Amino acid sequence: MKLKSLSWNKIIKDLFIFAVLILIILIFTLLSAKFLRVQNITNLLRNSAPIIFVSSSLTLLMISGHVDLSVGGILSLSACTYAVLLQRGVPYLWAILAVLAMGCLMGLINGFLVVKLKIVPVISTLATMNFFWGLARLMVPAKKDLIKEGLPKDIDNFARQDFLFGIPLSFYVAIIGVIILVILQRKTILGKYAAAIGGNSTSASLSGINVALTVQSLYVIVAFFSAVAGLTRASYMKAGDPKAGIGMELDAIVAVLLGGTSFFGGSGSVLKTVVAAFVLICLTVGMSVIGTEPYWQTLIKGIVLIVALIINHQLTEKVKD
Amino acid sequence: MNKVTVKTKVSNSTFINISMLGVLLLFMIVAALIAPRFFDITNFANVISQQANLIVVGIGITFLLITGNFDLSVGGVIAFAGVLIAYFSQSADSGSDIVLGNGLGMNYGLAIVLTLVACLLIGAINAFFIVKMKVASVIITLGTMAVSRGIAMVAAKGALRNVGLPDVFKELGRISIVGPINLPVIIMVVLVALALVIEKKTLFGKRMYLIGANKEAALLSGIDVGRQLTVLYLLSSLFAGITGIIMASKFNAGIAATAQGTEFEVLVVTVLGGTSISGGFGSVISLVLGAYILGVLSNTLNLMGLPPDIQTVVKGIVIIVAVILQRLALSRREN
Repeated sequence: MKLKSLSWNKIIKDLFIFAVLILIILIFTLLSAKFLRVQNITNLLRNSAPIIFVSSSLTLLMISGHVDLSVGGILSLSACTYAVLLQRGVPYLWAILAVLAMGCLMGLINGFLVVKLKIVPVISTLATMNFFWGLARLMVPAKKDLIKEGLPKDIDNFARQDFLFGIPLSFYVAIIGVIILVILQRKTILGKYAAAIGGNSTSASLSGINVALTVQSLYVIVAFFSAVAGLTRASYMKAGDPKAGIGMELDAIVAVLLGGTSFFGGSGSVLKTVVAAFVLICLTVGMSVIGTEPYWQTLIKGIVLIVALIINHQLTEKVKD
Repeated sequence: MNKVTVKTKVSNSTFINISMLGVLLLFMIVAALIAPRFFDITNFANVISQQANLIVVGIGITFLLITGNFDLSVGGVIAFAGVLIAYFSQSADSGSDIVLGNGLGMNYGLAIVLTLVACLLIGAINAFFIVKMKVASVIITLGTMAVSRGIAMVAAKGALRNVGLPDVFKELGRISIVGPINLPVIIMVVLVALALVIEKKTLFGKRMYLIGANKEAALLSGIDVGRQLTVLYLLSSLFAGITGIIMASKFNAGIAATAQGTEFEVLVVTVLGGTSISGGFGSVISLVLGAYILGVLSNTLNLMGLPPDIQTVVKGIVIIVAVILQRLALSRREN
């Protein structure tokens, strides 16, 4: 009997974030007929790619008990580098490969600071955030805000133009990225090692797991996906904007936590993070559809996070009982 | 033998403080060499007063870090306090047409009290979630950061409140002792002195270190960890509130977007000064040293005429190098 109720609560906890998403969609649909219009949904999916890339990869890292605050900086620097390369006439393929390689390099730097130099992730990635962001700003010509001139006209094919069913390619790439990350988390040794390290780093190390290599790889994965997010933003905005990634670290972390990943690591789910990311996007898009002034957004997001914490806490208590 | 080594060696904490003081002096010498204007009395006083607000907010954060907890809500609370104090003291009927022109028309003293109470409420929410609901401090203070900033945004419609403020409103920010040595500097000196006494001489201070070093042991030895953390979170919000009120007075406006990123700046200077982010280790002295190392660096880069973008990059590098050097120095000592 007890066992049965326990599993029920676990199911409720597992489905919680899905329920929140459905509830939010319902509320906005009731408030405005425009919310479920094709045009709005297309717009919503088009805007969702960057946060999906960043938050889903960040989940793996946070399961291992580490964090990366530099994702926004990586995004900005990647977007600006991409724009500068295209501006100089570098073909798409080489520009994309160069940006992705640079993304991996930034991940190596973060991993090196955390793993080899043992600087607490919050501090080391805060410093690299400043560093990457500053480099991105330096790429912009003096007295300009964006890298915009001389970019090829079809730069927005990836993130803005119709690829299939009116939705651009970037969204489908994001879905493929999520599938890869879900497989990495659930089916591969990397995902198991990440959870073991997050659960207890010392015992993971004692049981023969190469903690340094695992964490280093996770930082590279996060940086790689953040670089892809940077390409997406540059394509969507048709410009390299050093401000493109500002606040991304916060949105991504909120999505990961809302999805039920523990901040101290050990457990979590990439899939639930993606659902939580959609909760955040639906909130943002929904509020603008019903005509709320943009200055309400911060407050609403904060309240959603706190309410989610309370409900999550209640559910966890019940599972424990 | 053992006793002798213990006597001749200073503690790790003192060692880090002395080294960081050395770094600060080095930076000042370098500053004076490349930018002769550095020691101009006005420039020097500016450096001192520019970091005052950061240090006042940093005291609460340092204490919390010593216990192994974070408070990311301070930047939001500064904006929250600034907009609230403006809203409370704006005249109720200023005769202006714009919505943001009218406030509650309270007496300024009453407005200060109510604003600080509201800030304490944010601190109480933080404490409740961390102590009673066992939520990670990073997460809940991220939530209250959004809520406090969000309320400021809504109350100022994403902009600022600066119409119909009483004359007394701008006085706090203008009180000056000598040149740029102003009220924030006085408050900073008083609070830092108080904090040092609390940290070194009181039971309350000793408990902070114990909780940070080993929470279980602290609980088992009968320390009311919950009460201690509650007091510290209330203090942190209170200091942020005071800073918010003074900054609003200086700008003569309640600005919703003010103090963005303060929480991270404070973290950077505390860690730069040598406070451990994982608890049990640190001091308000570290905070002051860290704040002035960064302050002198910024000022020098400014005097050299470097654009802010390069400054961001240089700061990122300096922070990393400083933290690496601290780690190396400590591990060499231990060997």
